[in-house]
Amino acid sequence: MTCDLLLRDARSVARIINLAHRFNCRCTRIDASAVPGATTASFAFDGPAVALTRLRAQIDRILAYEAPAGARLPEGTP
Amino acid sequence: MNGAQVAVAALEREGVDFIFGYPGGTIMPFYDALFNHAVRHVLCRHEAAAAFAAGGYARSSGRVGVCCATSGPGATNLVTALLDAYMDSVPLVAVTGQVRTDLMGTDGFQEADVCAITQPITKRNFLVDDPSQIAATLAEAFALARSGRPGPVLVDIPTDVLKAQVTESADLAPAPPPAAAPRAPDDAVRAAVARIRAAQRPVAIVGGGVRAGAVEAFRTFVALLGLPHASTLMALGAADPLDPHALGMLGMHGLKAANKAVQRADLVIALGMRFDDRVTGKPDRFARGAAVIHADIDATEFNKLIPADVILHGDLRDTLEALVAELVRSQVPRFDAWAREAQELGGALPSDRVAENVLSATDVLDRFFAAIPPEAIVTVDVGQHQMWAAQRARPAHPRRFLSSSGLGAMGFGFPAAIGAQFANPGAPVFAVVGDGGFQMCLPELATLRRYGVPAKVLLIDNQNLGMVRQWQELFFSARYSATNLADNPDFAAIARAYGIQAFAVSDPAEADATMAAFVAHSGPALLHAACHPTENVWPMIPAGMTVDDLMEARA
Repeated sequence: MTCDLLLRDARSVARIINLAHRFNCRCTRIDASAVPGATTASFAFDGPAVALTRLRAQIDRILAYEAPAGARLPEGTP
Repeated sequence: MNGAQVAVAALEREGVDFIFGYPGGTIMPFYDALFNHAVRHVLCRHEAAAAFAAGGYARSSGRVGVCCATSGPGATNLVTALLDAYMDSVPLVAVTGQVRTDLMGTDGFQEADVCAITQPITKRNFLVDDPSQIAATLAEAFALARSGRPGPVLVDIPTDVLKAQVTESADLAPAPPPAAAPRAPDDAVRAAVARIRAAQRPVAIVGGGVRAGAVEAFRTFVALLGLPHASTLMALGAADPLDPHALGMLGMHGLKAANKAVQRADLVIALGMRFDDRVTGKPDRFARGAAVIHADIDATEFNKLIPADVILHGDLRDTLEALVAELVRSQVPRFDAWAREAQELGGALPSDRVAENVLSATDVLDRFFAAIPPEAIVTVDVGQHQMWAAQRARPAHPRRFLSSSGLGAMGFGFPAAIGAQFANPGAPVFAVVGDGGFQMCLPELATLRRYGVPAKVLLIDNQNLGMVRQWQELFFSARYSATNLADNPDFAAIARAYGIQAFAVSDPAEADATMAAFVAHSGPALLHAACHPTENVWPMIPAGMTVDDLMEARA
């Protein structure tokens, strides 16, 4: 499974990697770059299909918690 | 204004009336800003108790609970209660002091990377390193804590940021608008109603999501259909206490009727619940013959443990109202006959052997629930007394029965009652605790005393870590490793030492009179009930098993 994400909080990259391990998945690729307030991150994960589905749902929840309605990513977001 | 004053002003703007906390070095500017402030601080005797008290405040009121602590050990002592709030979807904001920004990362005195520590157990956390962002960050924290599926948020503020001067204009950040709640699509609602119309033996299971303003909608929904319904521990009180189709709590120590009805169902309507393993037992044997409609506000819950045939992603009240609106568009099916049949699958709660002239914990709890007024708020700790109470309680609303349900954190019950009493000053509040959990938070008797909080503590003392002892008896060849508490202290004497009225009972013949005096006492009080040491909780479905393996007595 691959995910290309735009994150407000760079620490969420670490959170997502930890989650993957918690769900018995493996992070096989991480590419990330950041400007203040915005991080683009590209992940690839390996693992059981059920676990990957759960992981994807959790990642979506992290994204939702990061971005309250009305929040805007800063100018210059990569 | 300095950063601390801005922070306290931001809390006041959020409508905060009480903060539960414990001071320390790095958070001293915040405490200075609280001095003589309209936002009242409640000094607990341990940060964990402060956070549980904030949880009790939030659980009983629906408002955001707030706790605070200093850096390092103060902050880490909040961790268990933050996880408790995360597991049970309780809106909480924790404010922690942090070491100076120039000391961060140097292993400074009382330094802990609390943001890293709490990242997996909060909806989000923030390290505020710019004083001009304090107000906006707190506004975002509150919005996030209370929106969607509620939960805890932590805001960590270095002490130099709390001391820094902030311009007036910078602190008046408007709160971000709440994110719009998802709404179950019309076609999913129609599909759910089609399943309901086709069902012969539907059962609703209501969970903690009902606390988010969905109690009346739930009662309307089940009454419209004459639907039998079971409740998770989190949702006790969702059903009208007089509803004849209420089957009570399901799960490991749930009532037989609830568990058997779900196992016989051809349709499970899961409402704001997450199929916890204490509810399902072995998931692939749970409700084997049933299709599943799953309604929840959190999409991560769908197909996590039990596959859903129909997914209703949205706010539970909206979803229930949409289901009712769709149902009444044509003839409404009724399931009264099945509901009566489901109720008959149960029977009286099994009791355990207790020697004559020795107090039975279940007997004490029967008397307790008969004695307390219907509007009472009851908190429970964790263990046998929790399950006995959950089997017997008939709360009028889920906010009147508070339990650390997902996490099962001992030491929750007593401070949660203190928090609930602050949120509901006119309500009778009782904590039902065991001798193990009570000893994790005994010093909170000082909090009761200081603030004159009239909350009362019913202590079920069986001189054991009873639930672990029960498992050792049943599953570990009666090898009682580290569960005996026969050397318990004199709890009534301890309460009196804190200036709390204490009652004690050990003779069943005196139980009624003592219980009546305890319940009627106008101030804070402890009732120490010295109970039989080996009474077990029945029924029981052993972990990882199903209702087919239900035990009602020792083998």
